[in-house]
Amino acid sequence: MNLSHIEPSRELRDTCAIVGTATSRLGRVPGVSSLDLIVEAIRNALDDAGLKASDIDGVLCRGPDDSYSHHQLVAERLGINARFGTTLTNGGASQIMSVALAIMAIRFGLANTIVCGFGRDTWSRTHVSEEARVKNETRPESMLAREFGPEYGYFGATAAHAFGATRHMHLYGTTRDQFGEIAVAFREHALRNPDAQMKKPLSIEDYHAGKLIVAPFGMFDCSLRSDAAGAVIVTSAERAKDLRQPPVLIKGFGTHNNTRGWFQDDNMVVTAAKQAGEAAYAMAGLGPRDVDTAQIYDCFTYMVLTQLEDYGFCKKGEGGAFVASGALRLGGALPCNTSGGQLSEAHCEGMLQIVEGVRQMRHTYPENRQVKDAEIALISGHGGNQVCHSTLILGRA
Amino acid sequence: MSDTIPKPKPRPAPESIPYWKAAHEHRLSLPKCDACEQFWFPPSNACRHCLSPNFHFEDVSGRGKVYSFVTYHRVYRPAFAADVPYVVALVELEEGPRLLTNILGISHEDVRCEMPVEVVFDDVDADTSIPKFKPASA
Repeated sequence: MNLSHIEPSRELRDTCAIVGTATSRLGRVPGVSSLDLIVEAIRNALDDAGLKASDIDGVLCRGPDDSYSHHQLVAERLGINARFGTTLTNGGASQIMSVALAIMAIRFGLANTIVCGFGRDTWSRTHVSEEARVKNETRPESMLAREFGPEYGYFGATAAHAFGATRHMHLYGTTRDQFGEIAVAFREHALRNPDAQMKKPLSIEDYHAGKLIVAPFGMFDCSLRSDAAGAVIVTSAERAKDLRQPPVLIKGFGTHNNTRGWFQDDNMVVTAAKQAGEAAYAMAGLGPRDVDTAQIYDCFTYMVLTQLEDYGFCKKGEGGAFVASGALRLGGALPCNTSGGQLSEAHCEGMLQIVEGVRQMRHTYPENRQVKDAEIALISGHGGNQVCHSTLILGRA
Repeated sequence: MSDTIPKPKPRPAPESIPYWKAAHEHRLSLPKCDACEQFWFPPSNACRHCLSPNFHFEDVSGRGKVYSFVTYHRVYRPAFAADVPYVVALVELEEGPRLLTNILGISHEDVRCEMPVEVVFDDVDADTSIPKFKPASA
């Protein structure tokens, strides 16, 4: 018996749908807690779906890393007893994992209609004081390294991801110009999105003029600090038929964790997106050629480039050239992060990628924001010390 | 004034105390499995290759090459303000394991992936020496 072989069940394909989605206010929302932000997003998502809080019987929500049993706090605010609920802790991979868990729970009769969401108040937290700004965002003390890092001046997620960028540049000749094109393309998308945090145009010259943070990353390679929340409502495809919005079907999902470590093997240049994507494609019965738009977890520019390779949109090592071709732009070969992404819309740990994927599948955007004739969206989630990954594939009903 | 702010010293987990004790004696010593005879890092109480609980610490060559590196331009902690730009590198030892470290004795602009390096010990105080690396002598 081959213990390493998996065969993602095709039975889950198209059995569930996303029937409501929304965000909170995004960007700088002072005086509003992360919990209030997620409740705002859920209220908006319920309105979008034409549902009431009492229609929800599952809550799979997550907040900042220092919040405990977050789904419980959310359900309390919603005034509901949730049949099914938990908070996942895979970092930025949690949000798609929540949708995957919702599908399994609905499929096995544990709940009917589940809200999945994430909210954070990182801009407010990091801008209340200079000390808070420098402090490592929302990480509790227990998550900070005690040795093999701090004594060398090694701090923060920027450096961790920058290691991968350096190695990729060494192996494949990838350039900062190519990273810059990702930042510039997503900013251009954000300018079409009135809710986006970033409002100013960004040129490649601006990108290169940005101050270096941890080289090879400069300030425009790094995602935003945002107050932001998003939510999606998942139910069976059968129930979805009678609801307000055109249902967006969940075609497949996958997950993989390179838990041997980011610094082990070649994990910093071949991410867990590879296996997570293969599993999601298998469940969906689709491949990279079928994908019309990708919403990629863009904590840093380089992470977009390597995931595009890992998902098979181009070969390993050719991500730089693929990006430089203009493929990621609206109107390009693979419009990517069409609402601006975490680099320019708002950083909500992958939740807004899911929201945008759903919206693209509805075909309700004005022409300048809509990926023309898009039928399939691929969405990625990445986190948990750089090694946890999840993939979601959505399609029009 | 940044030189008056102490840099963080390692706060060893119980399983890495032998590593830091050896470093204090200017030896680079890593856990090595008695069963499969492979090294691993960071220290833990079972082999990362075969999960055997039987292991010992053994000195390694101290030679390796730079797998990847980054250069800090931003000051994340005031104690490092005088050091920027400084390099944090991931060095792959000849014996296999990779260590986070600093590269000394070379401009940050000249550090390259695959560059051969060798260990040196930075005596930060009477009780603590931190393994760092410098370009390998010919």
